[in-house]
Amino acid sequence: MIVTKKALSRRTILRGIGAAISLPFLDAMTPAFAASSLPGGKPVRAAWFYVPNGIDMRHWTPEEEGPLGQLPSILAPLQPVKDDLLVLSNLTANWGRPLLVGAGDHGRALAAYMTGMMVYRTAGADLRLGVSADQVAASAVGHLTKLPSLEIGLEETRQGGNCDNGYSCAYAYNMAWRTESQPLPPISDPRQLFERLFGTDIAEPPAAHARRLAMRESILDQVGGDTQKLESKLGASDRRKLDEYLTSVREIEQQVQRAEKDGMVVDPGMEKPYGVPPEFPDYFRLMTDIMIAAFKTDSTRVATVMIGREGSTRAYPEIGIPDGHHPLTHHMGNMTMLEKVRQINSLHLQLFAEFLVKLRATKEGDSNLLDQSMIVYGSGLSDGNVHTHDQLPTILAGRGGNFISPGRHIIYQRETPVCNLFATMSERMGVTPEHLGDSTGRLQGLSLS
Amino acid sequence: MQFEGKQPQGVIYITSMDRPDAVLALALLYGLQAKRDSRMGSVCITGAGLGAAIFCDLVQRFYTPGPLRNGNQQLMPGLPAEGKMPPDSPMLTAAIDRKNDKGEPAYARSIKRVSDTSLPEAVIRNGVIFNADAVMILSAPATYLAKSLDLQGVKELYKERVKRLVIVDSGAAQDVPAIRKVLAEFPSPVFFCPKETGDAILFPGASLDKDFAWAPLHPIVDAVKAYKPGPYDPPTYDMAGALYAVHPDQNFFTLSEPGSIAVGEDGRMRFTPGQGGRIRSAVADPAQREKVVKTYVELASAKPPVPQQRFRPPANAADKKTAPAKADPAKP
Repeated sequence: MIVTKKALSRRTILRGIGAAISLPFLDAMTPAFAASSLPGGKPVRAAWFYVPNGIDMRHWTPEEEGPLGQLPSILAPLQPVKDDLLVLSNLTANWGRPLLVGAGDHGRALAAYMTGMMVYRTAGADLRLGVSADQVAASAVGHLTKLPSLEIGLEETRQGGNCDNGYSCAYAYNMAWRTESQPLPPISDPRQLFERLFGTDIAEPPAAHARRLAMRESILDQVGGDTQKLESKLGASDRRKLDEYLTSVREIEQQVQRAEKDGMVVDPGMEKPYGVPPEFPDYFRLMTDIMIAAFKTDSTRVATVMIGREGSTRAYPEIGIPDGHHPLTHHMGNMTMLEKVRQINSLHLQLFAEFLVKLRATKEGDSNLLDQSMIVYGSGLSDGNVHTHDQLPTILAGRGGNFISPGRHIIYQRETPVCNLFATMSERMGVTPEHLGDSTGRLQGLSLS
Repeated sequence: MQFEGKQPQGVIYITSMDRPDAVLALALLYGLQAKRDSRMGSVCITGAGLGAAIFCDLVQRFYTPGPLRNGNQQLMPGLPAEGKMPPDSPMLTAAIDRKNDKGEPAYARSIKRVSDTSLPEAVIRNGVIFNADAVMILSAPATYLAKSLDLQGVKELYKERVKRLVIVDSGAAQDVPAIRKVLAEFPSPVFFCPKETGDAILFPGASLDKDFAWAPLHPIVDAVKAYKPGPYDPPTYDMAGALYAVHPDQNFFTLSEPGSIAVGEDGRMRFTPGQGGRIRSAVADPAQREKVVKTYVELASAKPPVPQQRFRPPANAADKKTAPAKADPAKP
């Protein structure tokens, strides 16, 4: 470590015309001899991954409570990172249930899951829900970062119209709700996501933007001057880190550019938006790579990733499944359909596992990003066939900065609100809500200490 | 709120399930459900152990034959999980441990461990959310009912949907601060069933061998008979509370003037009329005694309704391969 008298600001940004890039954590950002205080001072991140249409729970739930051993088949891709996560059983999203209003489970599931509030049935503009868990967390730490929160979606977005039995599409397509009536639509375009993070705070002249796109110029070219100045102030270790980081930024940028190039030859009938990798796994990896970069640079500490909108009919030809996801989950016991659901569930977990491995490999001081994070993976539906909203599939990955003791399966009592988990995470992020949705308290047992 | 159709009012029963009248009250509530006069919203056990939750669950399954219900249709009994649990009452273990001719458990149950039960304050609240109209019967420590009052939006919810809370003088005051909080803050009309009401009308124990005989094995009969050597006629504290809660307008009991309840530090409740109180006491009326006993017997011994046939086309006539039904290892 390079010992300096004056620390480089954590908020240092490389600027150029039409570009601004946040930096990863560098040794030079640590005040002299302050390394021992790092663990307590490092930022904690929180993220929510939402998977639609429920899970085949027969192949999800570990048999026993306690230390995780051999994982059931859907969770099997997580075996390499099982010591970094908790499997939480029996959590409930009560307001997703039919209760007195009947059909519309997909219309309610995501919204009720993220907010713990009743979903007001409307297909119009008079949306009424509640503040989502991620935004509660963002209210504590959002002012400390470039972006208060990051909303990522892996499917096209719709904000209006009737998506399910009178429920607005806004409920099924948005994870994040800033207020009870204001959703924060997810970004599904890789370039838009990339530029939201690494693009300029100053409006780039349209002509220059168009020229840069046409010439496939790198954003790094634009901040070259600032980069050289910064490098002259850094020690060898930090120079290497900076170089690795900028290389990763360039790689992501190239992925985006490649995706856009590929996008030009995609059959329009496939309903792929321009710039989105045609293969879902590549799309997932690209978007989550950008998210990791956002966490790494402390551009945001709160993120949501909608793997699919609730009720998604996405097909998965990459793994030989041309059928839509949602229709398959209404299998009515058909084993062929169930097997396809299991394979889709497994694919999602495979990609999530890859994400966790990358997060774990991303060093931050003497820790890593996964240890400094709380990553929820879950759904507002458990059995997609009959639309149950209790005994939800829930994973909590990471240690939240020495807050969580992972590697276990915890079985809670039935009816324990999933919002108890979210309230506990929010508290860890620095906000202590008296209530979060329908929470009844904090979720016990996440830590063994 | 957005409602579709009219449903029977839901019953939230908070009980210690430690006396025959509680067991019989449970049967009576399923009798009312069979008549569609009410339906079970949720049961919350307080002051008893896991066996009480298992018993309530197996009684529920006994009275609702047919496919296993999912979480959208039925809530598992609530049970406090913290602290040391009281031992299971022999009255309940008699039914829990009862075996059929094959030596298997006589009554199917879904609860094997504490995590199969529900979080108590959540199941009380969610039981109300499940129903457009609800009534509550409190005959156990008020700890979790009081706790539920502090949850977001719950006082408004109870005010809107809970038509009445009936407090049975048989254990509700064991948690003094909690019952005082409930009496002070519960937003719906509150009624009181004093001990005298349950003592005044006894359940005819001889009925167990006659009116319940439609089932060769009956968990209610097993439990009541196991409470003490019989035959005997138990008091009807919780039965009175349940009957009044669901049918306050059928003159089974006489209502007092509004008054208030004082809770002593010793956990005794004392009702005093007047003094600007809002609580009314349901008192046994000697003139109605025969009618009440007849109603108790009819409801508590009622058969469950025959499950409705579900007509649904096969998933895929061409594909005969179907998943096995959900495993239920405890099913006999």
